[in-house]
Amino acid sequence: MPHRCVNCGREYRTNECEILKGCRECGGKKFIFVPLVERSRDEGPVPSEGTGDTVQKEVETQEVELPPGYEPLESIRIVSPGTYELNIEKLANSDERVVGVGKGEGSYLVDLLSMVRPKKKKNRK
Amino acid sequence: MNILVQTKRRLSKFLMAFFKKKKARIGIYGPPNAGKTTLANRIAKDWTGEDVGLVSEIPHETRRAVRKTDISISGSNGSNITIDIVDTPGVTTKIDYKDFLEYGMDKETAVIRAREATEGVAEAMHWLREDINGVMYMLDATEDPFMQVNIMMIGIIESRKLPVIIVANKIDLPDASPQRIRSAFPQHPVVPISCLEGKNIEELYEKMVEHFG
Repeated sequence: MPHRCVNCGREYRTNECEILKGCRECGGKKFIFVPLVERSRDEGPVPSEGTGDTVQKEVETQEVELPPGYEPLESIRIVSPGTYELNIEKLANSDERVVGVGKGEGSYLVDLLSMVRPKKKKNRK
Repeated sequence: MNILVQTKRRLSKFLMAFFKKKKARIGIYGPPNAGKTTLANRIAKDWTGEDVGLVSEIPHETRRAVRKTDISISGSNGSNITIDIVDTPGVTTKIDYKDFLEYGMDKETAVIRAREATEGVAEAMHWLREDINGVMYMLDATEDPFMQVNIMMIGIIESRKLPVIIVANKIDLPDASPQRIRSAFPQHPVVPISCLEGKNIEELYEKMVEHFG
């Protein structure tokens, strides 16, 4: 999934391990996760990593994207067996677990038990 | 709406507030395509003359919970109950847009429907957690009742100590087996009905008055 360097704006789409070494353009170590929705709203060309072939391959394997205006519903996405994406914001804000399956939108697993648990009380020191 | 109905509602609200009588809020739960909205429509039509929602053969037609308030149901022994009915989206643990494509839906519409259906499940569970006092658990009598989602939902309803009536729908179909549902959930009352034809619906009303009253 895409990450964008906060310094120079270069976007890394294919290999997330790349960003562990820092940005190839400016050496920056801070990256922001860019959801598909936000990306589709962006205007103008975005500098992307890799050759034209790699980009083409990714377009082919992409499944379905929702039209602009939809935020990710799932707290965890199973991209492929052993590869997961965590929606930290959702995980932090809610105990309800919806798991997305595959790269595209539209396939979900719902943890019903997580949705009926009483909300935890905040601990105050 | 005529003046008489308005006056009746106001008087009813005033008396309820005065005597602090709390109305039972009954949720219609169950897997997709069990006939929840058809039942909600029938109850509302029989007792208020109005419909609740649209029905369709495509699963997850109801994707937002719909509430119909102040339904007064009378039993044969003269007792009656006033309830709110909440028609909830079908509860399931797996939603895949590909299941909708076979109904001739285009991909984008199917993806949006899958997303809304998932949000609907969350909403149905939220109602169950916060606002429901009793449950009518709707099952398609032609389907296997021993599905994981049914066992889990009945377990959740039991753990919340909510009264439940299991409604075995579609008994007008030749493959229907309400007995299979009875043997799956012997601890709860099971009422076999056909929502579409109205078969045995009076027995369900009797059971509702007895169980939720």
